[in-house]
Amino acid sequence: MKLLRVGRWITAVGLLALAGVYVRAFAFTPIERFQGEAQKIYYVHVPSAVTAMIAMGLVGLAGILYLLLKDPRFDRFGEASAEVGTIFSLVMLTTGPMWAKPIWGTWWTWDARLTLTLFLFLLFIGYLVLRGAVTDPGLRARYSAVLGICGIPLLAFIHLSVYLFRTLHPQPIVLKPSAPSLPGSMLITLLLGFGVFFVLYVGFVIQRYALGYLREQLEASGGEVGHA
Amino acid sequence: MPEGVPATGGYMIAAYVITAVVLLAYTISLYRRSKKL
Amino acid sequence: MADLLRHAWYVARKDLLIEFRSRTAILSAAVFVVLVLVVFNFGRDPTAVAAVDLAPSILWVTFTFAAVLALNRAFQLELENQALDGLLLAPIGRGSIYLGKLIANLLFVVTIETIGVPLLALFFNVRVLPMIGPLAAIIALTTIGFVAVGTLFSAMAVRTRFAELLLPVLLLPFMIPPLIWAVLATSRVLADRPLSEIAGWLKMLAAYDIVFVLLAFLLFPVTVTE
Repeated sequence: MKLLRVGRWITAVGLLALAGVYVRAFAFTPIERFQGEAQKIYYVHVPSAVTAMIAMGLVGLAGILYLLLKDPRFDRFGEASAEVGTIFSLVMLTTGPMWAKPIWGTWWTWDARLTLTLFLFLLFIGYLVLRGAVTDPGLRARYSAVLGICGIPLLAFIHLSVYLFRTLHPQPIVLKPSAPSLPGSMLITLLLGFGVFFVLYVGFVIQRYALGYLREQLEASGGEVGHA
Repeated sequence: MPEGVPATGGYMIAAYVITAVVLLAYTISLYRRSKKL
Repeated sequence: MADLLRHAWYVARKDLLIEFRSRTAILSAAVFVVLVLVVFNFGRDPTAVAAVDLAPSILWVTFTFAAVLALNRAFQLELENQALDGLLLAPIGRGSIYLGKLIANLLFVVTIETIGVPLLALFFNVRVLPMIGPLAAIIALTTIGFVAVGTLFSAMAVRTRFAELLLPVLLLPFMIPPLIWAVLATSRVLADRPLSEIAGWLKMLAAYDIVFVLLAFLLFPVTVTE
C-alpha cells in the first residue's frame, strides 16, 4: 500500500537523521561546564517532550474536527497520533530521570512539570485504553474525540502551572519571551533534534494511519483481526 | 575533559541507548503489525 | 436558561431521591472515611509526625475516593431497565441531564466532605473552625473540578466493558492537577498561613472549574447520542 511505503521511507530517513544527531551530539557539541556530558540528554529529551505534547494537541484537534465533520479519517489520524505520542512520551519519561539523577541527585521529584508530563503519558494511555474498551467504531470515535478534546485544556494548565509556580525544573531557555540563551553550537544540535523527531513523528503517524485504514478494510470485509 | 566538570557520561549513554531502543522497537512493531494484515 | 436549570434540578432530584432511599453509596463512603482516619491515626508516630502535616493528604484521599464512588454510581442506575433511554426521550435538553447529574454528584460528594472534615478535626485534633472559610472554598472548588470531568467520563465509561475500571483510568490525569493544588493549599490553610498564600491556587482551581464545566457541558450530548 502506497501510504505505508511512504511512511516507511520517511521513518527510515528519520532514523538515519537520528543517528546523525547522535554523532553530532556526542562528538561535535561542546560539553556543558556544570552538568558534564549528561546535559546532552537535553538534545533528545526536549524534542521528544515537545513532539509528544504537539501529538496530544493534534489528537485533540482531530477530535474537534471529527465531531464537527464526522469524517472517519480524523478519527484514524487521532488514533495514530495518540499511539506515536505515547512512544515519544515514553522516551521523554525515561530520558528525564536519566538527566535528573546526576543533576538533581534524584530520579524523580514531584515538581510541577515532571508530575504533569507523567500524566501526559497517562492521558495517552487512557486514550488507548478507551479505544480498546469500545467496540462500536462510531461510538469509539466519538468517545476518543471527547477525551482528546478534554486533553487540550489540561495541557494548557500544565504549561501555566510551570510558569506560575517556580520549581526545580529548568526554566525555559529556548521558548521564552526574550531570545534563546543557548550557545550557538548547542542550539543547532537542539534544532536538529527537533527536526529529527518531527520527521519521525510524520513517518510513524503515516504508517500507523495506514495500518488503521488497512485494519478497517479487513474488519469491514468480515475478517478476524487481533487487536494490537 | 577540563577541570571540575562532573563525569556524567554514563547517564548520557544510557539515555541515548534507551531512546534508540524505544524508537527502533516501535519501528519494528509497526512493520510486523503491517505484515500481519 | 430557566428551563435548563429547572430540568437539571428535576434530574438531580431524581438521582438524589434514589440515593437517599437506598443510602448504600453514602454509607460505604462514610465507612471508608472513618476507616482511613483510624488507620492513619494508628499508623503514625505522634511524636514524629504532627497531625497537621498528615491531615491534608488524608483529607484528599478520602474525598477523592468518595468522588469516584459517586461517579461510578452516577450512570449505573441508568443502566437498569434502559432508564437512560427514558431519560433521553424526556422533553429536556441533553445539557440539563448533564447539569442534573453534576448537581446530584456534587451534593453527594459534598455530603461526604461535610462528614469528613469534622471527623478529621475530631480524630486528629486539628483546628479547622478558624479557617473554615478558606478550607470550604478549596474543597468546593476542587470538588467541582473532579466532578465536572468525572460526570462526563462516567457517561462514556458506563457503555463500555470494565466501566468501573475505565473511569478511574480516564479520570486520573484530570484529577491530579486540582488535587495537587488542593493539597498544597489545604496544608497552608491548616498551618494557619495567611490567605494571600493560597490565592494563586484558588485562582487556578476556579479557572480549571470554569473551563471544564463548560467543556463537559458542551461535550456531554455527544456521549449520549445514538
